[in-house]
Amino acid sequence: MPPASPGAASLERMWAHYSEPSFIEVDGLRTAYRRKGVGERLVYLHGGGLTRLWLPFLEELAADHDVIAPEHPGFGDTGSPETLEDMHDYVLHYDALLDAFGLNDVHLVGHSLGGWIAAELAVFYPRRFRSLMLITPAGLRVADRIAPPGLDSFRLEPEEALAALLNGRSDRYTEFFEQEGFPGDVIQAFTESTTRAKLSWNPRYDRKLDHRLPRVATPTLVIGAEDDRLVTNAVARRYAELIPGARLAVVAGAEGEPSSHLVQLEQPGDVAALVAAHIAASTAPGARPSAEANS
Amino acid sequence: MTDYEFNVILDGAYPEVPYAGKRKSNYIELPNAYYDRTLGQRVLEDQLETLVALEGLGFDGAVMSEQHNGPIGVLGSPMLAGAYLAARTQRIRIGVIGSIINAYETPIRLAEEIATVDTMSRGRLIVGLPMGHGMQYHSLGVMNPAKARARFREAHELLIAAMTHPGPFEWNGEFFQIPYVNLWPKPLQEPHPPIFIPGGGSIETLQLVAKYRYTYFPVLNPRPVLLKNVERFREMCREEGYEAAPDQIAQVVAIHVAESDKQARLETEAHELWQYQNFFQSPMHDNFPPGYISPGSMRGILGGGYRSKPMKDMSFDELVEMGWVIAGSPETVAAKLKEQLEEAGARRVIIGANAGSKPRWLTMKSLTMFAEEVIPRLRPGGKPLWAERPLVGYDTQSEYGARRPADAPVPTAALGDGLVDVTTAHIQELREVLEPWPVG
Repeated sequence: MPPASPGAASLERMWAHYSEPSFIEVDGLRTAYRRKGVGERLVYLHGGGLTRLWLPFLEELAADHDVIAPEHPGFGDTGSPETLEDMHDYVLHYDALLDAFGLNDVHLVGHSLGGWIAAELAVFYPRRFRSLMLITPAGLRVADRIAPPGLDSFRLEPEEALAALLNGRSDRYTEFFEQEGFPGDVIQAFTESTTRAKLSWNPRYDRKLDHRLPRVATPTLVIGAEDDRLVTNAVARRYAELIPGARLAVVAGAEGEPSSHLVQLEQPGDVAALVAAHIAASTAPGARPSAEANS
Repeated sequence: MTDYEFNVILDGAYPEVPYAGKRKSNYIELPNAYYDRTLGQRVLEDQLETLVALEGLGFDGAVMSEQHNGPIGVLGSPMLAGAYLAARTQRIRIGVIGSIINAYETPIRLAEEIATVDTMSRGRLIVGLPMGHGMQYHSLGVMNPAKARARFREAHELLIAAMTHPGPFEWNGEFFQIPYVNLWPKPLQEPHPPIFIPGGGSIETLQLVAKYRYTYFPVLNPRPVLLKNVERFREMCREEGYEAAPDQIAQVVAIHVAESDKQARLETEAHELWQYQNFFQSPMHDNFPPGYISPGSMRGILGGGYRSKPMKDMSFDELVEMGWVIAGSPETVAAKLKEQLEEAGARRVIIGANAGSKPRWLTMKSLTMFAEEVIPRLRPGGKPLWAERPLVGYDTQSEYGARRPADAPVPTAALGDGLVDVTTAHIQELREVLEPWPVG
């Protein structure tokens, strides 16, 4: 639930990287978002977690972009409408959200589940976005297993999930995962994974994306990791294959530490730089869709 | 004296598996390389033969459950065992409690199975409608825990409508859209077999059972929680405008009888602990997959208001204290069971006869002692309830002849100059045209 008043919120919500959300009505749903910065407009769609936060990589981008980071229905401080059933409800929600903001020409960035949502949006509204960036995205069927052995995202203990997200380095990032403490954090995670289950319990991909992704008509950058244990590297590669002209950029981890699913948390500067460069290239005079084809 | 109903449940567990404590869980992804066909044949045989034997022992009902992808039970479709028992027994009630409706692509399929087994068994079927353990939601590909309760609600309504409303009718729901709901066959029992609903204690489940006047059986509730839930159930029945009947409450309890209290404990203690330590050793997210319960219920569970400790960590004494196990001499078992049933106001009991690993001979020893020495203490004369309950339908061909409706349509076929009555068409003198009908 959103806080009753800003005063109460600041007392209750003292966790790291918290910033007070704003709210906008989207088709009657009070939708939480954070917005900061001036410049090209960038909408960031979060993954299956890391809500109720303002991430450092967004802070970097906000230095010269207008960054808008909404929280999905059923995540963070955005309510879960009764009518929410599947990915198409998200697609319509985000179309309506952009209308509510009066935005018609934005750069779209999505991470993990958010990457999947972003890809769907670019399929259904191929001319609505100036560019598309998918960071370790989920949502495609690949030849390999969707849930690698022992890494079913719906069946992980919190510590196992953190280990899979950050390749065993989660102890360096505890500040991003401790909010209310017990039991509040467990209930929040359960609520958000319930939303995720509505969208992706079965099947855990959208098989139609395989033949729909060629509709995407906006310059696309896929940002992959060296060792994405949760979604697997194959999904990012496959997005880059299926979207016309898309480029795959794999972000390197630190020395001897292959980068993880949460690459934007571990390498915020590198990911922000890739996003900024892609936005710049896509908005440069003469830039056309698929300008980066075959690069 | 209350006329208790003694049902016995056997899940058909497959015990030759590694100790779950060394793993995350023995559900979901225990490799089926551990399934040996010979051992599996024996598990099913033990389960079915024990269930068949209950009739001769004098129990009122033989009951089984649906389990998937793991050693907790080998009946993925308990209705199959229901059909088997219908053929192997004559009088005992058959409790398929039951089929996980969300495992069916359509509840109409379940309605058809219910109708068939009820007809086969001469109206002896009892149907249970469980949600299914959270652990069951991973292996069939048609169940989503986040939509399970809503789908269950609609599937239940449709199931009942199919059995009670004249067909054909349209069903235009959220999960099912069926242009022609038109159930053939219908169950033998009118309008449908009795329905038992298990529940951990969610308000929603209690309301459903109260509204439809079903039988509620609390599962794995600690004793005080069970009593609270039963009381809440009674209140809900009152809100529906009636007083709950004692047979609307069934109590589930594992029972082992032996010559003395000490002997009973020796015989059953390790087997009970085997079940709790191997079946209930599952992580939170498997017990409660996303959306399987509401966030509010999750808060209650995390707050510790439900069970004081994980079931896998319980000692035998704690299982007894929870009211989940009764072990003892016939005298002890009769007294404790009577006390439990009276306290809960339950007329029905579902006796867990084998926690899984207990050998058939030991199960039979306990069941025989229960039949011969406990039932007579609780039921004067010792006769099973079915002794007084006529089977549904006809017994003999003469009765069939007397009962068959006179106004049913005559089966006809176009032959020669028109429609003829096919039942007499083989007799030249009787083969006559009932009405003209163009042929060819």
